[in-house]
Amino acid sequence: MENRAYNYAIVRSFVTWSVIWGLVAVLVGVIVSFQMVEPDLNFPPYLTFGRLRPIHTNAGIYGWGVGVIFATFLYIVQRLCKTPLWSDKLAKFQLWFFNATIIASAVTLLLGYTTSKEYHEMEWPIDVMIIILWVAFAINIVMTILKRKEEQMYISLWYMLAAIIGVAILFTVNAAAVPASLFKSYSAYAGTNDANVHWWFGHNAVAMALTAPPLAMFYYFLPKSTGVPIYSHRLSIIAFWSLIFMYLWTGAHHLLWTPVPDWIQTLAMGFSVMLIAPSWGSVFNGYLSMNGQWHQMRDNYLIKYLILGITFYGLQTLQGPMQAIRTFSAFIHYTDWVPAHIHMGTMGWVSMISFASIYFLLPRIYGKEVYSIPLANLQFWLILVGQLIWSISLWIAGVLQAGMWNAMNPDGSLTFTFMETMVEMYPYWWARCLGGLVYMAGLIIFIYNLYMTAKKGKPTVNNAAAAAGRA
Amino acid sequence: MDLSSALYLGVTFGLFVVFLLIVIRTYSKKRKEEGERAKYRMLDDD
Amino acid sequence: MWEKKPVLLIIMATGAILVGTIITMVLPFVWVNTDADRIEGVKPYTALQQEGRDIYIREGCNNCHTQTVRPLVSDVLRYGEYSKSGEFVYDRPFLWGSKRTGPDLARLGGKYPDTWHYKHMESPRAMVPKSNMPDYGWLSANPLDPQMIQRKMETLGFPFTAEEIKALEGKNEMDAMVAYMQKLGTDIPWRQSNATEIVGDLTNPYAGVDHDSMEAWESIYTENCAACHGEHMEGVIGPELVGADYEEEVLFEIIYTGIADGGMPSFSSLGTDKVWKLVNFIKYYHLEEGHH
Repeated sequence: MENRAYNYAIVRSFVTWSVIWGLVAVLVGVIVSFQMVEPDLNFPPYLTFGRLRPIHTNAGIYGWGVGVIFATFLYIVQRLCKTPLWSDKLAKFQLWFFNATIIASAVTLLLGYTTSKEYHEMEWPIDVMIIILWVAFAINIVMTILKRKEEQMYISLWYMLAAIIGVAILFTVNAAAVPASLFKSYSAYAGTNDANVHWWFGHNAVAMALTAPPLAMFYYFLPKSTGVPIYSHRLSIIAFWSLIFMYLWTGAHHLLWTPVPDWIQTLAMGFSVMLIAPSWGSVFNGYLSMNGQWHQMRDNYLIKYLILGITFYGLQTLQGPMQAIRTFSAFIHYTDWVPAHIHMGTMGWVSMISFASIYFLLPRIYGKEVYSIPLANLQFWLILVGQLIWSISLWIAGVLQAGMWNAMNPDGSLTFTFMETMVEMYPYWWARCLGGLVYMAGLIIFIYNLYMTAKKGKPTVNNAAAAAGRA
Repeated sequence: MDLSSALYLGVTFGLFVVFLLIVIRTYSKKRKEEGERAKYRMLDDD
Repeated sequence: MWEKKPVLLIIMATGAILVGTIITMVLPFVWVNTDADRIEGVKPYTALQQEGRDIYIREGCNNCHTQTVRPLVSDVLRYGEYSKSGEFVYDRPFLWGSKRTGPDLARLGGKYPDTWHYKHMESPRAMVPKSNMPDYGWLSANPLDPQMIQRKMETLGFPFTAEEIKALEGKNEMDAMVAYMQKLGTDIPWRQSNATEIVGDLTNPYAGVDHDSMEAWESIYTENCAACHGEHMEGVIGPELVGADYEEEVLFEIIYTGIADGGMPSFSSLGTDKVWKLVNFIKYYHLEEGHH
C-alpha cells in the first residue's frame, strides 16, 4: 500500500505548533485590547501596546495562519498527488526552522527591533529566515506535485502553487532594505514609493496568505466532508485566474487620499470592485456544492464551520470593495471600522476554515475519533459570537467616530475636538475586550478537544489503516 | 486620441480578450468532461 | 495543457501576478520622488531628529498615529495643510500608518512648545485627561549612542557634522523624540501661509454675560486650555491668565489664530462661537467670582 509512506507525523507536528502560536496570537490580542482601555496596563519598555500589537498580528499571520497552511498543504499535497512527500527530511527542517523563526520574531519585536511596516515588522535577519523557510516549503510542495501519481491537478493544488509563488515575490520585494546594524535597517524605498510598495505587499499578503490558501483548504475539505464533489471545477478555474490577476492591482486602496498618484488609487478602486466577481465565484461554488446536502449543516459540525467560513468570506469580499471606494474610504478610513473588517476575515473566514480543516485531519493523522463533538459545537458558537461582538461593536464605533470627525458647525468649523471623539470609543473598546475573551474561550476548548483526542480519542474504524502510516 | 490613450485602450482590450479566451476554452463542450474530472478524482483517494 | 503541467501553471500564474504588479507598483518609480515632485525646503533629518524617528519606530507609535493629512475638509481643518508627496522623500520607511487611535501627527511640528511635549510624553493624562496613550517618561533615562547614530546617518546618506554628533552626548531619547515631533510637517511654511487674518470689526456676541451662564463654559477651558495655562488660569507652560488685561478682540485673535512663534496653537477649529465663549470666560469669570 502506498498509504504506508504518507508522512502524517509532520502534519501532526504542524497542527500542534500552529495551534500553540494561534493561542499566543489571541492571548496577546486580548492583552492589547485591555491596554487600549486601561493605559496603566502598559509595562514599558517591553510590554507596551506599540510593541505588543505587531506580535499579535504577526503571531496570527505567520504562526497560526502560515502554520495551518503548512499543516494542511503538506497533507493535501500527498493525498491529491497520491504520493508521499518528496522529502521528509526537508519537511522536518521546515518544522523546526518555522518554530525558530516565530520565536526569533516574537523576541526581536519585544526588544523593539522593528521596521514598522505593518504585517512585515520583523527586521532583516528574520526576513532572511522567513525566505529560507518559504523556499524549503516551496521545494517540497512543487517536487511532490512533479512526481505525483494522479495526472489531474485539482483546484486546491492551483491555489497552492499561486500562493507559494505570490508570497515569495511579495515578501522578497517588500523586504528590500539597507542594514545599518544587525537589527536596524532602512527601507530601500522612500516616502510615497515605500508606501506604494508596502501596501502592494500588504494587501496581497492578504490575497496570497489569507485568501488563496484558505480557498485551497475549502475546496479540498468541503467535498471531503460532505462526500459529494464541488459544484463546478471549471467555475473554480475561472475564479482562480481572475482572482490572482486582479488582486495585485488593488494595494493602493489602502492609500486613498494620500500623496500616492491619483491614477494608481483609481485603478485600485476599480479592481477592488471587480474582485467581487471571482470572490463570489468561489462563494457560489461552495453554496451550490451543498445542493441536496443542506441537511448536513445540522448533522455534520464540519459543514457548519466550512459554510459559515465561506459566508464570512463572501461578506468580507463585499465589505472590502465598499471600503475601497473613495467616498466611503474618506469616511471610515483610520477609524475602528477597519480592524472590525480585518477581524471578520481572520476570525470568521480564515480561522473557521482552519478549525474545520484541523478537525477533519484529526482522525486521519491520529487514527482516533475526535474526542467530543458537543465541545466542537460549543466552540463553534463561542468563536462565532465572540467574533460578532468584536466586529459589530467596532463597526458601530467606527461609524460614530467618523461621523464626529466630520461633524461641522453652521459656521464651517469642526464640532468636536479629537479627544471628544476618542472618549466616545471607550464603551465599544470594552465590548471588544469581551468579544476577544469569548473567542479565546472557544479557542481554549478547541485546544482541550485536540489534546484529549490525541490522548484519549477512540481508535477510528475506517481510517485506522491509513493513519497507521508512520505513527 | 493620443498615443497613451490608444495604449491604455489597447492593453485593456487585450486583457479582456485573454480573459474571454480562458472562459471559452474552459467552457468548451470538448473539454467539459476533462475539466470536471479532477473534482471526482479527488474524492476517491481515501 | 497547464491543467496537467505544474511548471507551466507556475509560469502562467507568475505572469498573471506580474501584470498588475508592474503597472501599479513598478511603474510609479518613474514619476514618484523624481525632480518633478521635489519641494524646495524639504531637508533630510538632522542626527537628533532621525534618532527620534527611529525611537518612534521602535516604540510602534505608528500603530496608533498616522502621518498623512488627506485633502478633505475635516482633515485639513483638524490637522493643517494636506500632505504632499515631496515632503516624504527622506522618509525610510514611510510612517503614514493606518489607524488614528490618537490624532494624526503629520503637522504636529511647531504646534506646541517643547515643554508641552516633555510633559505630555512623561504623563499623557496630565495634559489630556482621558487619553489612553501609555507613559513614555522612561525614555529620559536612556542616553543616546552618538557612534551608532553616526553610523545610521552614514547608511542613510544624510549630511551631518562632527559637532552635531558630539552635541548628542549627554542627550537622551526623550530629547530626540521631542526634536522629531517638532520637525514633523514643518518643511513647508504652511502655518504662515494658512494663518487666519481677521479683517473687519469683531463684536463680542456675549457682551455683558452673567457669571452663572459662564459656568457652563468652564469645560471648554478645561479641555483646551487648562493643560498649559493651569486649571485656575494660574499659568503652567503658558502664562497666567488671571488679570491678563487683553482687549476682547485681541484675546479673540490670539486664541483663534494662535501665536506661531510663541508656542500658542491656533484654536480656529473650535469655531468662532466657542472661541468667544473662551474670551468671556477668561476675561470675566474670575472677576465675577470676586463679587460673590
